[in-house]
Amino acid sequence: MDQLVELNNETEETVYHFQEGPEGTVIEIDDFSLWYGDKQALFNNRIDIQKGLVTALIGPSGCGKSTLLRSLNRMNDLIEGLRTGGRICLNSQNIFDKNIDVISLRKRMGMVFQKPNPFPMSIAENVTYPLKVDGVRDKNVLAETVERTLKGAALWDEVKDRLKENALGLSGGQQQRLCIARAIAAEPDVLLMDEPCSALDPLATIKIEDLINELRGKFTIVIVTHNMQQAARVSDNTAFMYLGKIIEYGKTQTVFTKPGSQKTQDYVTGRFG
Amino acid sequence: MNLLKKPVKSGESFKNTSMAARGEPALWTMGGTLALGVLMIIAFLILVVWNGIITFYPGGIEQIILNDGSMIAGEIRRSESYRPSDDILKTVNTEWKEKIRRNKGVAERTLFKTGNYDLYNEDFKWVDEFNIRERTNPENIYYFERVEWGPFIGFIEKVELGGRTDIRPENLADRLESEHEKAVERRQKIGVIEKKKISDINHSLEEERLELKRVELAEGVDSDPYREAKQAYQEKTETLMAKYKKLQDEAENLKQENSQFKLTLKEIGGQKKTLLLSEIVRFYAANQLSLLDKLGVYFSRWLEFLTAEPREANTEGGVMPAIFGTLTMTLLLVMAVAPFGVVAALYLREYAKQGHLVSVVRISVNNLAGVPSIVYGVFGLGFFAYTIGGSIDTLFYPEKLPNPTFGTGGLLWASLTLALLTVPVVIVATEEALAAVPQSLREGSLACGASKWQTIKNIVIPKALPGILTGLILAMARGAGEVAPLMLVGVVKMAPELPFDGYFPFVHLERSFMHLGFHIFDVGFQSRNAEAGKPMVFVTTLLLITLVAVMNAVSIHIRNRLNRRFSAGHF
Ligand SMILES: Nc1ncnc2c1ncn2[C@@H]1O[C@H](COP(=O)(O)OP(=O)(O)OP(=O)(O)O)[C@@H](O)[C@H]1O
Ligand SMILES: [Mg+2]
Repeated sequence: MDQLVELNNETEETVYHFQEGPEGTVIEIDDFSLWYGDKQALFNNRIDIQKGLVTALIGPSGCGKSTLLRSLNRMNDLIEGLRTGGRICLNSQNIFDKNIDVISLRKRMGMVFQKPNPFPMSIAENVTYPLKVDGVRDKNVLAETVERTLKGAALWDEVKDRLKENALGLSGGQQQRLCIARAIAAEPDVLLMDEPCSALDPLATIKIEDLINELRGKFTIVIVTHNMQQAARVSDNTAFMYLGKIIEYGKTQTVFTKPGSQKTQDYVTGRFG
Repeated sequence: MNLLKKPVKSGESFKNTSMAARGEPALWTMGGTLALGVLMIIAFLILVVWNGIITFYPGGIEQIILNDGSMIAGEIRRSESYRPSDDILKTVNTEWKEKIRRNKGVAERTLFKTGNYDLYNEDFKWVDEFNIRERTNPENIYYFERVEWGPFIGFIEKVELGGRTDIRPENLADRLESEHEKAVERRQKIGVIEKKKISDINHSLEEERLELKRVELAEGVDSDPYREAKQAYQEKTETLMAKYKKLQDEAENLKQENSQFKLTLKEIGGQKKTLLLSEIVRFYAANQLSLLDKLGVYFSRWLEFLTAEPREANTEGGVMPAIFGTLTMTLLLVMAVAPFGVVAALYLREYAKQGHLVSVVRISVNNLAGVPSIVYGVFGLGFFAYTIGGSIDTLFYPEKLPNPTFGTGGLLWASLTLALLTVPVVIVATEEALAAVPQSLREGSLACGASKWQTIKNIVIPKALPGILTGLILAMARGAGEVAPLMLVGVVKMAPELPFDGYFPFVHLERSFMHLGFHIFDVGFQSRNAEAGKPMVFVTTLLLITLVAVMNAVSIHIRNRLNRRFSAGHF
C-alpha cells in the first residue's frame, strides 16, 4: 500500500494556485529531490517562494517538511550520506553550486528551530552573535543592532534592563523570541522557521504569531507548522506536503477552503494526519 | 479498585510485596558498601592526620636507671607487648619471672628516643619493663636539635660565650638564648655566602669558560679571536678569583667568631661533647616547658618544616624544595596536558569521521590508562630525556657536552611524562563533555553563519568547559600523587638547586627536582634508620594530601563558578 502511494506520488502533478508577491520569486525550488543514504525523502518538488510573503509548509508528520526547510540553508550538509537532485535557487543562484560559500548563504537565511536554543551567554551577546562571527566589532553598531532586533522581535520592553544577564534565565517564549531576534539580526533575505511554537504555551504562541505578522513584508518567511489554524492565521501561501512531495501550493485561504487536490482536502478537514 | 482497604501506617500497604520488589536489599548492600568505603578513607585520614599532627609536639625526657646500674635518658616513643626469649628471661629476677609467667610469657617494653647518635651509634633503644629499677624526670636535662648528627639529650656542663666562662647562673638562660640567636644568624650568613655568593662567582666563571669554549669551537685554537678571548678570559678569571678570596675570608671570620661560643654537654652516661652554639638549631629544657613553651617549639618546628631545606639525609629539617618541586611539576603537567588532551578530544569528537578507526583510537586511549606508570617513566627517559633532550644538547649546548643539560631527567621531562600518563583521563572527560553539548546549540550557531571552528570556539568549548575542567582536576590529582615514573625522569633525593633562580633565563626546567611523594619513599624506606624517618613520613604524607586537596579545591571552585555561568536557566 505504502509502495503504491509512493509510486503515485512520483507521478502526481502538483496543483498550483499561489499568490504572487509584489517583488516576484526569491527562492526557486526546481525539481528538487533528496536522499538520506538509499532512502528518498523528497520527490521532484517544484515551487517558487514569493519575496516578502509568508509561506507555510504543512503536512503529516514525517512527510519531509523539515528536510525541505533545512535544505534551503543547507543545514542538511551535516548529515553523512546525504544526496540531492535538482536545484534550489536563491535570487537565481543555485545554492548547491560548487562555488557557493555555505557560510555566506546561511548568513542570508536566518533560522529558528523547534526548541528554543539560546546560546549560554548574555541576552545581548546572543543577538549580536551573527554579527560577531561576521567580524563586526564596532560597539555602536552592535548596541544599535541589539535594540533594533529586540524591538523587532517584540522582546525589548521585557529585557531592556537585563541585557547583560544570561539568556538561559528567560522563559521559553521569551527564549524563542530571542532566537527570532538572533535570526533577523544579520538582516537576512529569508527567515526559516521550523515549528517555532510547538514547544510553547498558547499565550507565547500568540505573541510569536503576532510577531510573524509584523515581520511580514520586511522578510520572506517560510514556516513549518503542524497547526493548521496557525498556517491559516499567519501565511499568504501554503504548501501541502505528503510523503516527500508537494501536492498543492496555493493561496492559503483557497488551500483551506477549496483545495485543488483530494489529498489536501482530506488533510485539512482532518481525515488523516 | 482500592489498594488500601483500611487506613494504614506508612509501609504497611506493602505488606504482601516481596522484599526484593521493595528495593530494600539493594539499598542495604549499596549503602553498606559505600559506608565501608567511606569508613576506610576516614580511618586512613585519621591515621595520617593524627600522626602528622602530633609528631612535632615536644615530649618530656625520662631518665631510667637499669637493673645493672647503667642509665639512659630519652623521649618515650611507644610501648608494646612482646614475648622475651628464654635467654633474656634467665637474667630476670624471680619476682618479675613470676609476673611474666602469669602473663603467659608476655612482657612490656618501651622505645626511647635517646639521640646522641654520634656517641651511641643508635638513635633509639628498647627498654624492658623488668629491666627498670628507677624512672625519674630530671629538671635540668636538655634536648638539643643539632645541624648534624640529630638530637642530643643531656646536661649542660660548661658554657663559653665569647671566650668567657664566668657567667652568672641567674643570667645564663637569657644569655644563652640571645647568643644562640646571634650564632644562628651568623651561620645563616655563612650559608648565604657559601651557597649564594660563591655560587654566583662559580656561575660567572663557568660562563666565561663556556664562552671561551664557544670561540674555540667556532674559530679553532690557532686563531686571533681565540687568543683574544683567552686573554680576556684570564683577566676576568683573575678578578673573579679575587672576589672569591674576599668572600671566603669573610666567611672564615664569621666561622672564627662562631667558634668562640660553645657548650660542653654531658650525656647521661657521663660522656662529654663540645658543641658550637651555632650548630644548634633549637634547644629546650624538656621537663620544664610550660604548655605555651611546648606550643612555641611545636610551631617553630612546623615553620622549619615548611620553609627550610632538608638536613641529615632528609630525615630532619624542612621540605620546602619538595613542596616547590611538586607544585611546579603539577602546574607544568596541567599546562602540558590541557591543550594536548583537549585538542585530541576535539578532533576525535568534532572533526574525525566516526568509524572503525576512531573507535580503535578511542579504545587504545582508554587502555593507555591501564599501563603501569613505571612504563611511562621508562618511555619518558628514553624518548624525552635521551632522544629529544640529547638532540637539544647537541644543537644548543654543544659547549657543555659531555655534561648533559636537557639530555637527562629534569622538571620539564618529568612533567611531560606525567602529562602523557594523564592524557587519557583528559581525553575521555573532554569527549564526554563535548558529547553532552546539545546538537541544537551547534545547529543554532551554524545557522547564524558561523564556521565550524567559530561554533566550536564560541559555543561548544565554553559549554563543555566545566566537564573539561573536571577531567583536568582528575588528571592533576593523579599526577600529583604519582611517584614511580618520576624516579626515572628527574626526581632526586636532594636537589642542589631550585628550578628557579636569579640567573638567566631564571626558569631552569632542565634541572632535577625534589618531590613530596618521592620524599616520603626516600625518608621512610631509604634512610639509615627507619624509626627516625617514620614521623617525617607521616608529616610529609599529611602535607602532600593537604596540597593535593587544596589544589583540587581551588580548581573545583573555579569550575563551579564557570558552571553557574553556563547552565543557569530552567527551560
Ligand atoms: N538524518 C536523517 N537520516 C535518515 N532519515 C531521516 C533523517 N532525518 C529525517 N529522515 C527521514 O526523512 C523523512 C522526513 O523527515 P522530516 O524530519 O523532514 O519530517 P517532518 O515533515 O519534518 O516531520 P515532523 O512533522 O514530525 O517534524 C522521515 O521519513 C524521516 O524518517
Ligand atoms: Mg520536522
